[in-house]
Amino acid sequence: MTEYSEECTDKGSQLDNSPEHWLTVEAGKIRWFLLSVVCLSAGIGLLVVLQARLLALACQHIVMQGEGVSSVIPLAAALVLLAAGRSLCMFILESSSSAAAARVKQAVRSKLYRKIQSLGAVGLAGNETGPLIETVTRGVDELEHYFTRFLPQLALAAILPLMFLIIIVPSEWRSGLVLLFSAPCIPLFMILIGRGSEKLHRRQWGRLSRMSGHLLDLVQGLPDLIIFGAAKMEAKVVARVSEEYRTATMTVLRLAFLSAFALEFFATVGTALVAVITGFRLLLGTLTLGEGLFVLLMAPEFYLPLRNLGLSYHARMQGIAAAERIAPLLAKPLPEGFAGTLLAPTGPPSVLFEGVSFRYGGNRGGVSGVDLELQSGSITALVGESGAGKTTLARLLVGLARPESGRILVNGQDLTLYAPESWRSRLAWVPQSPYFSSGTVRENLLLGRPDANENEINSALEAAAADKFVSHLPDGLGTLLGDRGAGLSGGELRRLALARAYLSPATLVVLDEPTAGLDPENEQLVCDALEKLARGRTVLVISHREQTLSRAERVAEMIDGRIDRVVSPNEFLTTCEDSF
Amino acid sequence: MTHIIRFIIISRSQWLWMVSGILLCVLVILANSLLMALSGWFIASMAVSGASGVSFNYFFPSATIRFLAIVRTVGRYAERLVTHEATFRILSDLRVWLFMRFEPLAPACLERYSGGDVTGRLRADVDALETLYLKIIAPVVAGAVSIAAGLFFLAWFCTPAAVAMLPFLLLAGVWLPLLVRRFSEVPGRRSALLAAELRTKVTEGLQGVEELILLGALERQTAAVDGLSVQLVLEQERLGRINGFSQGTMALFAGSGVAAVLLTAGIQVASHQMAPPNLVMLLLFSAAIFEAAGQLPSALHLLPAARESAIRIFELADAPIPVPDTHVPCNMPVDNGICFKDVSASYLPGEPVLQNISLTLPAGGSLVLSGTSGIGKSLLIEILLRFREYEGSVTVGGTEIRDLPKESLIAMMAAVPQRPHLFNGTIRENLLLGNSSADEERIQEALRDSCLDAWVAGLPLGLATEVGINGSAVSGGEARRIALARALLKDAPILLLDEPTEGLDSATEREVVSRLNERIRGAGGVTMLVVSHRPACLKLGDSIISLKRN
Repeated sequence: MTEYSEECTDKGSQLDNSPEHWLTVEAGKIRWFLLSVVCLSAGIGLLVVLQARLLALACQHIVMQGEGVSSVIPLAAALVLLAAGRSLCMFILESSSSAAAARVKQAVRSKLYRKIQSLGAVGLAGNETGPLIETVTRGVDELEHYFTRFLPQLALAAILPLMFLIIIVPSEWRSGLVLLFSAPCIPLFMILIGRGSEKLHRRQWGRLSRMSGHLLDLVQGLPDLIIFGAAKMEAKVVARVSEEYRTATMTVLRLAFLSAFALEFFATVGTALVAVITGFRLLLGTLTLGEGLFVLLMAPEFYLPLRNLGLSYHARMQGIAAAERIAPLLAKPLPEGFAGTLLAPTGPPSVLFEGVSFRYGGNRGGVSGVDLELQSGSITALVGESGAGKTTLARLLVGLARPESGRILVNGQDLTLYAPESWRSRLAWVPQSPYFSSGTVRENLLLGRPDANENEINSALEAAAADKFVSHLPDGLGTLLGDRGAGLSGGELRRLALARAYLSPATLVVLDEPTAGLDPENEQLVCDALEKLARGRTVLVISHREQTLSRAERVAEMIDGRIDRVVSPNEFLTTCEDSF
Repeated sequence: MTHIIRFIIISRSQWLWMVSGILLCVLVILANSLLMALSGWFIASMAVSGASGVSFNYFFPSATIRFLAIVRTVGRYAERLVTHEATFRILSDLRVWLFMRFEPLAPACLERYSGGDVTGRLRADVDALETLYLKIIAPVVAGAVSIAAGLFFLAWFCTPAAVAMLPFLLLAGVWLPLLVRRFSEVPGRRSALLAAELRTKVTEGLQGVEELILLGALERQTAAVDGLSVQLVLEQERLGRINGFSQGTMALFAGSGVAAVLLTAGIQVASHQMAPPNLVMLLLFSAAIFEAAGQLPSALHLLPAARESAIRIFELADAPIPVPDTHVPCNMPVDNGICFKDVSASYLPGEPVLQNISLTLPAGGSLVLSGTSGIGKSLLIEILLRFREYEGSVTVGGTEIRDLPKESLIAMMAAVPQRPHLFNGTIRENLLLGNSSADEERIQEALRDSCLDAWVAGLPLGLATEVGINGSAVSGGEARRIALARALLKDAPILLLDEPTEGLDSATEREVVSRLNERIRGAGGVTMLVVSHRPACLKLGDSIISLKRN
């Protein structure tokens, strides 16, 4: 926890689908917008040329021809008009950029979130939640500037300098040559310097996510830090991590700004050369001030699109870094075995595990070669030491994961043949730590059945022995819960989760330690309720409690991922007499 | 404004970086404007001299142009580095400041905000404050200073031109930013709020994805996320449009300002009150100085969102400390006996959970508290840890714990809380939190006494195994035993255990209880308070108290 791992794995860059390619595809979806940006910008470019022309002309009139102000009043008026036209074009340009970016962001975020959800826990093994949240929220937002800054600037850098050059050459071809030859230096240096910083920049993204995860971890664990008197110490770690982030980012920026520096340098040198050349031609009298000044005014404008492209390079890298996170997620294949079409049985199903194996990666357990029958309408209890594979088996049964080998037959049909939605609508599952979100008790209770009526709610609460404590809450069902159900005790949350299970029209119920965390009195209540719930349903319950076991028809004991024996509760309890 | 001042006060130790950054900003803007002005003057003078045949010393101006070009180029690079350096230094200060402020708030105050959101807020809002100096304070201050300097320059050469320019600079530098600020106030605030809401929803949705799938509630949750995203993106689009308005209007003012200078300075030239080349100089200078005003609207455009972040950060940091600490010297506890006398306490004000509880646990004794869930057993432990305030009297070794500095009190205790948190790191790192100086022997002892020895020995990486975020890579029972081993490692005179065997199968549970008994009784003198309703745990106590409602 105090260590904040330095090394970053550039997983994204190792994948085949390049993030830049993905960005191009996304950009293709807004190509009409991009085209209009280019047209508008070209229009702005023309207005700029006219403005410079008129200003230079006015100076020519006053300075060289000694004319009075009255002769330039129309020119001044025209200048204001041109400025107004430019202002309008800029407004339209920015508005349509924002609109296009909004469309892209919304579409990508929606697609990405759905994809992550449908990948579920199985497909995302190895991905931590923190970075995923970061990708869906901020990561998507960071795409914006790739589309609104980088891509339009890229097009402009290709069009405007050429256009300006064509206009300048007739006035002053020598200056035109200076511009022509200095211009390619800019992208060249930009690429040379950009290459180096791109890699660093990518690593930055990884750092940022990890810094976020590190802080979340520390804040969530603050009570534990306090208990061990380590909170003050961890503040130093926060400082160190922030410092490391600063030094790392500054290293990137020093390089990134260097490319801007090179741009600036060439633009300044080019402009200065143009000033000198036109200056001497003016001194020799081979050029009018109007022409010379026009060229001088146009020189910075010539470099501007290139400089802006250089500045938007940051936007590009930001976009690529974000795409590097997003594209691989979108490209991930959906977990297989979820394309079934059969409707789930409406009565209590019979389930048969045939040689089912599943292993998590690494050292986390799993199950291997499990054979087990859950008879229709029966209660089967699953016991075993922690880590024996009980929860894994339950997850396979509810269809959160698919067996690697073997199969699960439901009423004689392979579970994978059933339509996932249909199957899910027929089952209720209460895991060890049930999901609760910040919101009212009612919202959490009705998660699976938003249409349940008061009677159903009341009887579900009663059945789960949750009616009493709910009625004692200040606002009853309307009481607001904190994150992960904060405000209720562990036992209360579990009973609320049970009530949620009662509400669903399930025919198969899977309970993971439903009475853990309950006192004997409540355990009794819940077990009674469980028996009620079991009527007309097939139940698999993971439990060690005698109370619970005694109500089961059969007890299956798991050892090291295998079913060791399946016996009657009495037999099990007598052989384990000393346990209780 | 008060928030910005407070922000500056928090980061005051970085004042040198902040001021240097602003000064460099001003330097670059002025160097650029002067460069353009001088180039214009140079060209016009060359043209005039070419036409009139009067000789013109072009060495001095061209040397100055070169100098200004260097100042502009190098200055911009330095300015960027310095302002960013300042920004990250401020960020670092801010994060630490916040973490220190959060510490006394945990857990009573923090749990009212959702867990994902506290860090989301912290992370996103602290980052939003990044814009405060770099994108708001520095450009605004530098812009204002440069505009003033620019007007002074204009007035020096041609007062009417400065007067003509003033309204346009004021419009561009004051009126437009204020207008933009007013426009973006609502969308800025809303987008910050929506971003936070979106983050919370996404966090909930990703953490609870399995149950949401099984409950068939996934589509509704996803729709909620989509809805928030649409709203957020809409606000962001609105902000983009306001930005476009501001840029466009700025271009209009700049164009008009230059036209105004053309007319006023033109009159001066026509009436021979000013040298003709100065007209060109002033025109180019005026166009360039608008760059200083140009950054103002975009800076103030960001202000509402940054302000929103600042308000939320300070609101969180200013939450009243739920259990105040004391620093008044008092009698240190004479032993490790615990006594509750007429104690009442609650999680939320107005909802009493414990009422007039009295119990005594002599030094070296052990007590198991059982009773129905929700009766407040865990609350007793949280009171002892000073996580919750209480009424009545709670003493440790004869000293009222309210009068003891938290640090001294905590030093006496080791605990396994109701929901222990494992930090993302290795098993060893998590254990060492209990006692950073524990040697290998002590660690092995603690592992054995919490029945983890065989499991750890069986792991390919042993103690170097990562436990994952929130202990996601280990089972619930393993996590709890790691928390137990961590508490044992602290070797404190008082041991508080909240359901130490939850999630364990009965065989392991019995083993843990017997090893724990052996360790505690063997060590002697340790006072142990256990909260549990598991029958096996009852063996841990010399005495057992069952709490009943009221």
